[in-house]
Amino acid sequence: MARKRTTVSAEIIQNREIAPLHFLMTLRLPPTFHPPYPGQFVMIRAENRQPPLLGRPFSVYDFYHDKKALALELLYRVVGQGTRIFSLLPQGEKLEILGPLGRGFKIDGRRRKLILIAGGMGVAPLSFLASYVRRRGAGSSFEIVSYVGARTASYLAGLDKLETMCSKTFISTDDGSLGYHGKVIELFEDHLKTCHGDMPAVYTCGPYPMIRQLADILRGCSGFCQVSMEERMACGIGACLGCAIPIRNKDNRQLYKRVCKDGPVFDIRDLAWR
Amino acid sequence: MDKSRKFSPKMAVNIGGVALKNPIMTASGTFGYGEEFTPYVDLNRLGAIIVKGISLKPRRGNLPPRIMETASGMLNAVGLENVGVDAFIKEKMPFLRDHDATVIVNIFGETIEEYQKVAKKLDRIDGVCALEINISCPNVKRGGIAFGARPDVASEVARAVKTATRLPVMVKLTPNVTDIVEIAQSVEDAGADAISLINTITGMSVDIEKRIPHLANITGGLSGPAIKPIALRMVWQVVKHVHVPVIGVGGIMDERDALEFFIVGAKAVQVGTANFIHHTATMDILEGLETYLVESGIDDIHDLIGTLREEGEKC
Repeated sequence: MARKRTTVSAEIIQNREIAPLHFLMTLRLPPTFHPPYPGQFVMIRAENRQPPLLGRPFSVYDFYHDKKALALELLYRVVGQGTRIFSLLPQGEKLEILGPLGRGFKIDGRRRKLILIAGGMGVAPLSFLASYVRRRGAGSSFEIVSYVGARTASYLAGLDKLETMCSKTFISTDDGSLGYHGKVIELFEDHLKTCHGDMPAVYTCGPYPMIRQLADILRGCSGFCQVSMEERMACGIGACLGCAIPIRNKDNRQLYKRVCKDGPVFDIRDLAWR
Repeated sequence: MDKSRKFSPKMAVNIGGVALKNPIMTASGTFGYGEEFTPYVDLNRLGAIIVKGISLKPRRGNLPPRIMETASGMLNAVGLENVGVDAFIKEKMPFLRDHDATVIVNIFGETIEEYQKVAKKLDRIDGVCALEINISCPNVKRGGIAFGARPDVASEVARAVKTATRLPVMVKLTPNVTDIVEIAQSVEDAGADAISLINTITGMSVDIEKRIPHLANITGGLSGPAIKPIALRMVWQVVKHVHVPVIGVGGIMDERDALEFFIVGAKAVQVGTANFIHHTATMDILEGLETYLVESGIDDIHDLIGTLREEGEKC
């Protein structure tokens, strides 16, 4: 049996702080890299050095052909040791990349209106979803509306790019420094009340409390809402069982599913809450 | 024979009655039931696959978060999530048989009777070559103290499993004990055919912002390069005092790490956490080991095992 290497080597083209603690990393990939689908992720490690010991999962922020090479963009916030080390890597540094991994968002061509609800860094996979839809042949026939929330205005990294792809963008901040003063789900809920007829397709990614709030207000709705989940991972391929999250199956029994392999995208109604 | 041609060193070892093509195995819990690794590893080239620990009934495992990286290692508290012995036999073994892999099943229980029941169910299953007993789990009847923490209880489990199966039995020791040699001798006396060590070392990690443990279970098992010196020291201690083959486990990331274990006397090694980082780690280590033997002019791995020169460089 032919053995394939698990990782490819990618070169950092840029790794720039675009907002306080928020970085945009662009990587040049070899042509063999399989194009990712929105919602999929990659595992990243600095080549031949540690810490960190384990790879770190990042959702794909963008992917495109740049001249003859492939380019992958990651948007991340420094939250711990791994991201702190990544933020210090200079241009030209090599990374080991494994991916694309996981099951991404499903796009239902019959639902022409997409609502994206992003909390914090949840904007990254949703922005890629918007880019992906816009670049497709029928991309212009989709209406994309986004709701973007962050702790404070300076944390709204990625907003500028997302706005250009949406017909409407609603903003909230926890401290009221920009847009609605409060949680992004409250903002969405107000708009949901005025929403009649067909439920649009909702896509979301953000912190746990936000997802839970959204799950609560969508309970009983007939709509379709997919959520990209986040959990610490070791292997990224479903072997370590480190990234388990509780899911309710069809018999209403709770079981654990792996974010890396069974997700990271799940139907929001399948999530089990304590 | 043309001397300029590279020879292939003999890698086969026999571990307590189980003939292995080579001494590289996967550590239980780091390789699932093999399926996830087939794009990266030819399962048939492994010395053996030690599958994720199996219990009598399926186990859901612990609440998340289950893992946390720490300095040169990782903590895990997966909680022995597994499909249970019946589903393992029905759903996982056919796949492993198709790959003609050498399968060693890691088993555990909350009572000695559970260990025996799991062992009995696996006794006549085509493709199962041996059992590895995990004695690190809590003994429910004795207030949750690990079976492997006391020599008398460890030997009781080993003896009970030996009487329940005709398969060769390896016992995997926990390092969370005062005297590892005493435990090793007691399981050897109880009839263990081989001993593997070490399992993970109990540890913890705290989020200082939220003042909560990083793991929902609070404590977890430490693995990875951080524990390799401890594992190596314990293997070195145990090989001096037992006659059965010893399998080295703990923080082996590359062939150089594996070589250290062979030199102190391990007859085989298990690769664990490294599988998560580089999915081809076992194959890389196997190839690296063969290259080392060729370059050192050693034509049989047995000529390397236990060759530590304790007098050092003095003479």
